[in-house]
Amino acid sequence: MSGEKVKVPVMEGMFSFIDGKASLSGSNCKSCNEIFFPKKEKNFCSHCQNENLQDINLSSEGEIITYTVVRQAPAGGFYKGPVPFAYGVVKLPEGVYVETLFTGIEFDQLKTGLKMRLVIDKLFDEDDSTEIITYKFAPVV
Amino acid sequence: MNNAREVVVAGIGTTKWGYYPDKASYELAADAIITALKDAEMGWNEIGAAFCGSVYQGTGSGHQGIMDVGLTGIPIVNVENACSSGASAFRLAYQMVAAGLYDVAIAVGFEKMPRGPIPSTAFRPWQLQMGFNVQPANYAMETLLYMEEYGATEEDLALVSVKNRKNGALNPNARFQKPVTVEEVMNSRLIADPLRLYHCCPLADGANAFILCVPEKLRVKSKAVTVACSVLTSGVYGEMGYQHGSTGSFKFPPKESIVELSARQAYELAGYGPADMDVVQAYDSMAPGELWDIEELGFCPKGDAPRLLREGVFNLDGQIPVNTDGGLISRGHPLGATGGGQIYEVVMQLRGHAGARQVKEAKIGLAHAMGAGPNSAITILKK
Repeated sequence: MSGEKVKVPVMEGMFSFIDGKASLSGSNCKSCNEIFFPKKEKNFCSHCQNENLQDINLSSEGEIITYTVVRQAPAGGFYKGPVPFAYGVVKLPEGVYVETLFTGIEFDQLKTGLKMRLVIDKLFDEDDSTEIITYKFAPVV
Repeated sequence: MNNAREVVVAGIGTTKWGYYPDKASYELAADAIITALKDAEMGWNEIGAAFCGSVYQGTGSGHQGIMDVGLTGIPIVNVENACSSGASAFRLAYQMVAAGLYDVAIAVGFEKMPRGPIPSTAFRPWQLQMGFNVQPANYAMETLLYMEEYGATEEDLALVSVKNRKNGALNPNARFQKPVTVEEVMNSRLIADPLRLYHCCPLADGANAFILCVPEKLRVKSKAVTVACSVLTSGVYGEMGYQHGSTGSFKFPPKESIVELSARQAYELAGYGPADMDVVQAYDSMAPGELWDIEELGFCPKGDAPRLLREGVFNLDGQIPVNTDGGLISRGHPLGATGGGQIYEVVMQLRGHAGARQVKEAKIGLAHAMGAGPNSAITILKK
């Protein structure tokens, strides 16, 4: 199995695979119906302060609310992906915003309202044997 | 606050903001404190408590500055509230005197901005790894929303920088004292589309200090300026705040934004409204931010600020002078001192000491500091 990298998510619990299809993991408050992404670690709704959260799988398609193209490397050396890069916010149909990197699209093609789909992709190479992966959104073909 | 005593600003001090590789932040803090004491004509022994705002200066940073002025056993509290640190320190000093705990207190703001990449802890680790911590990029996303909703153009954004750099040229304490043209702004390097280098406030090292007291302790009555209110709000549920990694809530957006809430509280407490303000320090860490700040503070309807800016309403000689000393864009942004920098200019204007920047008969002024957190701090002063 030489050359096969171990893929590690940038944070545990952000997404899962159901029948091979990726899905973002969120929390839904059964008291006020708010949806959180990423999912809450503590069973405590920061909107209504009840302790009634449930795990949910979120939709895999959304539309761009806003975006930007970052032309300089982020401070601190935490981000090790390519520069320039595009990121922004998508809205999922169930009523939640997700901040996300964008991939598979030319910068000048980005616009608000564009329909995008969830992909799981490399964030950066940690070292020779490990790849950090994350969720991103790409254009719906 | 029930039975709050009247509190006045008795003395102010600032360093000239700039790039000082050879100076430590405690040197800057001590300089500002000593200048404020001389301005107030007070002795250090009269100060009852000290509140010191900074973000990156580390453990006991206020103590380090005060050590070079003198340790007198008074309480020293360090205050970190990102870009609202200085305004928060000012608020604590004001409240302590208003509540009768001390007759004289000092608020200090100081910062030596880290060179090179600034490690930001306003974000969760995964957000840092995903690259979501470039603040101009976060402002850029907010700017796009504003531009699409109200039709503001890139040139509208540039005009904020042009106005503020023009005012900054009249401020001997600003880091940048040279005007810029619209062309220079529009041709400056892209940082995060659509924001360019000259839309963004520069870094700076700097400090300031304010001595607050009850009127009976004043030495120089002619310089005194009264604190009409000092308000801090620190986040409302569901509001978009990309600058601290929050997308906002789709289902439960707030009825009032953090700025609108702090503005309402400030006007209620002070007993004044936007129409009463003679000078305004709006938050211009990024040029477009000044536009929506002016609107959310209630100076004009949403989306109108760009047009009013073009009409000259916010110029030095306009109806509502905004950022008469050049704002963050000219002064620079030493985080711990920025809130105080805004208050400093309002005091200078109300004293009639703003020289070439003087707004005629300025009697009431408002300073608004924002920042990651989020925080929204409003200080209203009157002569």
